[in-house]
Amino acid sequence: MFLAELLDRTGLDVLDHLDRQVTVPVIDGLQAQGDLIVLPLGLLGWVPRDWWALPAEGRELVRGEAGNNPHTLVADRGTCRMTTWPADPERLAIAAFENTAPVWLIHPEHGATGIAPGAWFVRRQRELGAGFRKPVLIAD
Amino acid sequence: MSASRRPDRRIPDISRWLSHAFRTDPADRPAAETAISRLYALLGEPPPRFVWAPSPNAAVPHLRPSPVPSTLPLEARMATRAAELRARRRRIPPEERQWIRDVAGLVRAAIPQPLGLYWYGQQDAYWVEPDSGDPELELWAALVRSCGWWWPREGVCVVAERPLAIRTDDERRLHSATGPAVVYPDGWGVHAWHGTRVPSWVIEDPTADRINREFNVEVRRCAVEHLGWSAYIEQAGLRILSRAPDPGNPGCELRLYDLPAQKWHAPSRLLLAVNGSVERDGTRRRYGLRVPAEFDHPLDAAGWSYGLTGAQYAGLRRRT
Repeated sequence: MFLAELLDRTGLDVLDHLDRQVTVPVIDGLQAQGDLIVLPLGLLGWVPRDWWALPAEGRELVRGEAGNNPHTLVADRGTCRMTTWPADPERLAIAAFENTAPVWLIHPEHGATGIAPGAWFVRRQRELGAGFRKPVLIAD
Repeated sequence: MSASRRPDRRIPDISRWLSHAFRTDPADRPAAETAISRLYALLGEPPPRFVWAPSPNAAVPHLRPSPVPSTLPLEARMATRAAELRARRRRIPPEERQWIRDVAGLVRAAIPQPLGLYWYGQQDAYWVEPDSGDPELELWAALVRSCGWWWPREGVCVVAERPLAIRTDDERRLHSATGPAVVYPDGWGVHAWHGTRVPSWVIEDPTADRINREFNVEVRRCAVEHLGWSAYIEQAGLRILSRAPDPGNPGCELRLYDLPAQKWHAPSRLLLAVNGSVERDGTRRRYGLRVPAEFDHPLDAAGWSYGLTGAQYAGLRRRT
């Protein structure tokens, strides 16, 4: 799948300077997109129960600081079911999903990446907060 | 502009209308005074005396709440009518409304004093719709075209000039790397870094020393971005503890630095990483994350930022 084709199918867009003629690789393993990381669901230690179908227009996982730059998850209809805010001892997980065909994670600045069929969950990134407060989540 | 969805077809003259919010020419005083006098007349009030201020900040000393006799003060009655007018308006897309409110809000935040009830004049473009055919709304539209912020009070109306300059980045956020992002005829202005309001030193003279003394995380982040991570590390004399290839990000390195102990801050270290994707100018942006001081290896520190061990993070296949 070329980036241009993927954008066409989803109606999403990325910044102009990203090369649209590159093939979007499908990765079967850990991968990061900016402040998000995709991990095998096995690492979470339990399986969520209340799944729902990923809507055709995809689902925004998280938006950046200024309200733009969302990470959006998209897939062909009927190939992906998901749930949001699964319990996570690290309190970083924002979504989990199971897919029978590649799903795509798209971001205006980072471009697109493919996730191989399997069961996955997505965590945000954190850094140390000011003073002695608890860590804060990164929003890029 | 990094829109997520391709923008809908906008009403073509809406963007022209909204550009009034960013006008920097002198106010059209006769037009503004006429429109305001008519709004006073709609409240059954005689035309006020006008006081023109060279900036919203310069308006502050002139502001006194109207005396409250038996009725509501004039500005409260004005607000009631304005609220009725704006309740019926829906033609300006929400993201456009938000964009202009953010700009005005950032200027407002730079004035510490309370301002009472006031309106944005040119920046009321976010809710006032042009050519509505409603004679009362047309008066507000005239103010969008002719002046800056204004404060209606009993017998007197304080009106501010428009700015001399308003500078934004290509995502339309207030931003200037060389001076104030908004500056008014009296020299008063607001410094901003990509939509975040910052003290002037962040823009005009960012140094590692000032950054280390700054308590606000956001201000520190902006100042480091402006100074550049490499320059910051060099000036601050940060000692490198360890470095390692960034898994999934070929050719890039993770570096872990010791941060000087800071009063009132938990001991921490700085992990310097490089973005997985290129910027518009072809470079890759560096970014620094503060991590607990217990980590000696960059992979452990990077892993912690995602709730993973260093060994788990080492299995990263790709970073975009």
